Amino acid sequence: MRRIPGILFAGVLFAQQEPSAKQLLDPSWINEGRRQYRLACGGCHGINGEGGRGPNLADGAMVRRAKNDRLFYSVRNGVAGTDMPGFPWEGEKVWQMVAFVRSLSAPAQFATLPGNAEAGAALFHGKGGCTGCHMIRGAGGFTGPDLTDAGATRTAKQLRESITNPNDRIAEGFESVSVIQADGSPLRGVAKNKNNYSIQLLEDRGKLHLLERASLKSVRFETTSAMPKPDLTAKEIEDIVAYLAKQSVRVEAKR
Amino acid sequence: MKLGVLILGVSAFGQVRFEDIVAGPGKNWLTYHGDLGATRYSPLKQITRANAGHLVAKWTYHVDNALKLEATPIVVDGVMYITNSNEVVALDARTGRRVWRYLDAHSQIRRVNRGVAVLGDRVFFVTGDAHLVALHRVTGALLWSKQYADPTKGYFATMAPLAVKDRVIVGVGGGDSGIRGFVSALLVSTGEELWKFHTVPQPGEFGFDSWGKLNKEWGGAATWMHGTYDPELNLIYWPTGNPWPDLAKEERNGDNLFSCSVLAIDLATGKRRWHFQFTPGDTRDWDAQSIPVLINGEWQGKPRKLLLHPNRNGFFYVLDRVTGEFLSGTPFVDRLNWATGIAKNGRPLEIPNLQPTANGIKNCPSLRGASNWMSPSFHPKTQWLYVPTLEQCDIYSASSLPAAKLVGSMGGGADQIPSEPGQFFLRAIDYKTGKKMWEYPMPGSAKMWGGTVSTAGDVLFAADDDGNLLALDVFTGKHLWHYATGQNLTASPMTFEAGGKQYVTILAGTEVYTFGLFEAVASRP
Repeated sequence: MRRIPGILFAGVLFAQQEPSAKQLLDPSWINEGRRQYRLACGGCHGINGEGGRGPNLADGAMVRRAKNDRLFYSVRNGVAGTDMPGFPWEGEKVWQMVAFVRSLSAPAQFATLPGNAEAGAALFHGKGGCTGCHMIRGAGGFTGPDLTDAGATRTAKQLRESITNPNDRIAEGFESVSVIQADGSPLRGVAKNKNNYSIQLLEDRGKLHLLERASLKSVRFETTSAMPKPDLTAKEIEDIVAYLAKQSVRVEAKR
Repeated sequence: MKLGVLILGVSAFGQVRFEDIVAGPGKNWLTYHGDLGATRYSPLKQITRANAGHLVAKWTYHVDNALKLEATPIVVDGVMYITNSNEVVALDARTGRRVWRYLDAHSQIRRVNRGVAVLGDRVFFVTGDAHLVALHRVTGALLWSKQYADPTKGYFATMAPLAVKDRVIVGVGGGDSGIRGFVSALLVSTGEELWKFHTVPQPGEFGFDSWGKLNKEWGGAATWMHGTYDPELNLIYWPTGNPWPDLAKEERNGDNLFSCSVLAIDLATGKRRWHFQFTPGDTRDWDAQSIPVLINGEWQGKPRKLLLHPNRNGFFYVLDRVTGEFLSGTPFVDRLNWATGIAKNGRPLEIPNLQPTANGIKNCPSLRGASNWMSPSFHPKTQWLYVPTLEQCDIYSASSLPAAKLVGSMGGGADQIPSEPGQFFLRAIDYKTGKKMWEYPMPGSAKMWGGTVSTAGDVLFAADDDGNLLALDVFTGKHLWHYATGQNLTASPMTFEAGGKQYVTILAGTEVYTFGLFEAVASRP
């Protein structure tokens, strides 16, 4: 009888004590978290964690900035002022959820990857033609997403899929657009933003045009990505992924 | 080398030249204060005293996860750059639509941020954990990120960097927890450190013996606010913060140089040309971070290069900015009980036995100061400086613990006096006499941190203590217009022109508000 309070006390402690970093990377924990996530969280955050009624958990904008205990607290108690309810599970189950949610946006720089980064660098700056649109540390084109911090801001899966299936998701601010201006002159580029009233159009040579829709004769958005499906082998793609995974502005990347 | 050529090759568009920044604001607003001397005077005059009443909100941009927005926007050719903590956003300045956003993926410290600097094809800002980051101005692409202070030693950063010629000048926060302040110049192209000036001297350096027995690694004298620059003298004027521990003086007997000072530093070498200390051996957290405003004005009938500075300690100072000579110091608040005046040598005539004690003692002004980092502005026609001013006293308490036990704290505190609530006033001060020419009382909770901008339309825009952006008549202080933002204001307004129209912008809590003159638009049924 006298031991029971002790056991309860240990349970409370476990709930609040943060597991080791290694434990939070344990595949069985991540899988258990995934299973639970699909049942409890996918309805609002999407089965892939890319958001819906709830915020995107996979792009890293929220999750990477939050400390583990903060994620634990948010799952356990909900987030005040939002639709996010609390899930008053026992501690280990909540920590497994934290492990899974972290894995959704785990930066590529920490992943173990099969590709050869040096070969990837040669492809990226050479025959792959990537620098026509993408910049790394100021070198390259304007109209594709900057990749200077790619390894720190994207998962390996995101890097790979944006090469193999560029049309599956076109990053916000990178939709191709062609317009005819009032004087009949055409402009082509990517729409950094758009609505019914204005378009912020960036030409491929890096000139920004702030356009009012009412002043344009015509506007046409492309449904496919400006990013071509590359003529690369599976191995070459893995090499480029390995190279991009090394790109982090706070660590001098190998070239 | 290839990299350099590429950067040059692609940066042919929209270059901000340093001479454009030196020229001061026009359509664009290219540096934190609009001009490098921080007069915050804009030559735009579409909005006038006569039509300011017709201002209306044009757009609002909401900043997700905003941490009390404090930036002054920068505007270049219709694009506005604002910051949140560890975040920069470029907006279409006419519509408020986002062009790009940079979220720093690395910073471990979340702090408020006061904005960007621009130069060439670049935008610069500091992260909470004291990295200077360079971004491409058109796309937000990341060019480099350079750590310039060690956050594990208590340093952090909040300021808008100052871009001058080929270098970016940065400072640090942390003076309330025991750091050694410094100002650094980093190269625009790579972030390489060109020089570093420590605000707490080393053994053998001038001022080292002004600190008693305190470990000089803890002296504080942070450099958390943007400085000013005189291109003719090639001097930067950098304000410094309190000595540490803020309120406990036992181990730091002396003047504690160069805390609570303004430093004139040679831009080329990083060497001190002169310094002026407003509050020697401060014990009330009276940072000198109010803006050192540079004007070429008349002093006793002769033209002179001047520096105007309303200090937290309650005195309004005029200095010769070539030599650092003290010219005058006059009270600009009524609630001032710690000194009877400023002596001819520039030192305050302190009243004895008013130092903070363990049990607390009433001192005026308050710990937040008679003015603080909220921006004043100087209007060339009136020749007056418009200063957000706080009338408040506090009960100041000091700890008697040794400094080693106080690291991470201020070594005491200050309490507001419930029966004597503070109040803000916007005051027009004639620098030649130190006299108050008019004042605009601001009822409120005495919690704001908002500043001002004045224009050739003879309008003074200012934040008030009740969440309003105001337009006042520069000559009389008469109210012309206001807009309730619904938020406590912690930033200064600015003005710019885009598409041929003048706008006024202020960051408010979590939003960016932009105003312009009402225009009747024919509806399109």
